[in-house]
Amino acid sequence: MAEYSRLAKGHFTSTGNAQPIFLPFQPDRVKVLNYTLAAAGAAASKIISAQWDVSMGQGIAIVQAYTSGSALVYDIVATNGISSFSEGLSLQFGNNILLGASGGIAKTSATVLTVTTTAAHGLSAGNWVVFNNLYETATTGMQTLAGIPFQVVSVTSTTVFTISWVGNASNLTAIDGSATGTPGFKQILYPAIYVPGIAFPWSITLSAGVITVNTTAPHNFQVGQEIAFRIPSIYGAKELNQLQSTTLPGSPQYFYVSTVASSNVFTFNYSGSLSAFSVANPPFASFPGLKFAQVFAAGDVNSGGFPYNGGNLYPSPTVYQGYSTAAVNTINGPSIQGAFINATAQGFIIGAGAGTAVTGGVLVGANTNVIYWEAFLDDYVAN
Amino acid sequence: MSERLAVAMRQAEDLILRDYIISAASEINAGGGGNGDNPTNYGVTDFSLLATTLDTNNSYKFMSGIEGMDRFGTGPVRSSYFMLASTELQTDFDGMVGQGFKNQWDYPNNTSALQSEYGSVFNIRILTSSENPVARGTSANGQDIYYNPVLGKQAVTHINQDGYSMNLIYRDPYYSGMLAQNATLAIKFAQAQALTQDTAIRISLATRLSASL
Repeated sequence: MAEYSRLAKGHFTSTGNAQPIFLPFQPDRVKVLNYTLAAAGAAASKIISAQWDVSMGQGIAIVQAYTSGSALVYDIVATNGISSFSEGLSLQFGNNILLGASGGIAKTSATVLTVTTTAAHGLSAGNWVVFNNLYETATTGMQTLAGIPFQVVSVTSTTVFTISWVGNASNLTAIDGSATGTPGFKQILYPAIYVPGIAFPWSITLSAGVITVNTTAPHNFQVGQEIAFRIPSIYGAKELNQLQSTTLPGSPQYFYVSTVASSNVFTFNYSGSLSAFSVANPPFASFPGLKFAQVFAAGDVNSGGFPYNGGNLYPSPTVYQGYSTAAVNTINGPSIQGAFINATAQGFIIGAGAGTAVTGGVLVGANTNVIYWEAFLDDYVAN
Repeated sequence: MSERLAVAMRQAEDLILRDYIISAASEINAGGGGNGDNPTNYGVTDFSLLATTLDTNNSYKFMSGIEGMDRFGTGPVRSSYFMLASTELQTDFDGMVGQGFKNQWDYPNNTSALQSEYGSVFNIRILTSSENPVARGTSANGQDIYYNPVLGKQAVTHINQDGYSMNLIYRDPYYSGMLAQNATLAIKFAQAQALTQDTAIRISLATRLSASL
């Protein structure tokens, strides 16, 4: 029975982060081989190969790995192993992960909040999450950021990750194990199916005629594209609003992205004055019905497609799609920069999970490791 | 089977357009309700704010008003924008009767009411659908968030290609192999959509007054 089975193979150079592989089908079996490590010979705490079957469950993998004594053994990756996906519908979420008795959210710095969970969070850097029930007491906590999509900036351990926010803001009270709510979060499974979309700024600063905007999750903007803002007055910086309702109500203003420093940072030129922007302004008590500051794409780059940098003559656009911190090519053909595109996809993800017994290496390999893979969709499954 | 597949094809078209709109247009959280969540459940002030925002943005309304008539229990209907809302919000709308919500059966006449039209609040007429987008358990208090686009006439367009929109493809078993064992049935379609005026659309986010209703 192989009439309708599908097979695929390929290879990539690992970044050390979870690697999505886009396919024209959703595989039910995957094999992975780390060529770099296999060629290097026996070495302590390395995962050499992996196999996954959908019947094992998502995020699992059986691996062959070298122990700390360089003995080759079988092991299991229990979280962040291999999983398949079909990305077609928006607003799909993972389970609600409670921070739990030993979890919380620490006010780490002016740019960082650190989230700790009691059980393994199962996240990789680049995933997107949305928080809920951030009550430390009935009248304090972090509810002013609940509902905003955040990109996981870094994963410190299986129970700790960080996000970008004004972490020392006065309107926030750290969440800890004594929180009166049941604080938790959900992973946004497919956060960027249609891009560029809406982004949520947590910092807007003006310096020497250039405004720098930091967003909580990737904005997917391109240099030269047109953007606009909707900023409720409580946050400040209302001069940037698309409709200022001052001198000429109903006449929208737009800006052009001048640089894209990273997935979450962009700049544009601005000649006027700007009142201070701060996400620390709304008090905790104001969170019911609180409207968030937003920046959104309003026009594409008039000069056309993506510049040719070698490789494919007509490259597809790249999108920060929530699988890792790197942008990935979509299944589309060439497009105009900054224009709305769909980034629907299906395939599988090779995670950055470690073994249960062999904990030194990760499934997807270290940065620069060359990984070969095979994927299968079987048309006959006996049991 | 082919009938169900054709329905699925049309639903897929709707879902793509739906997801595109909620991804691209800016959002307004409801704040007029009293459930203490973010967004809150709907209050009539949310509809007033939405219509005011779109009016200030010089959006075109979809429908002209319905003049009052001498019929018991009816009242005139304002010229209106359309809100595309979830059927799950209908209990909340019913709870706003007397506060500004008017069921379409309370219109002076409902000849201009669409089949899916549930009613109106001030300058917004509400259409409900079971396929309207909802983010389960993601509000500040962990309740479902409903994404309800409110549109002016010039907000969105749908582009069809000349001579091609969709195909329902049937291949009889003759083509499957020498033994002619399997027929195949498939659909494919092409569509494109665009926000033609981003100031004429807002995604209104709301929770329900009580999730147990």
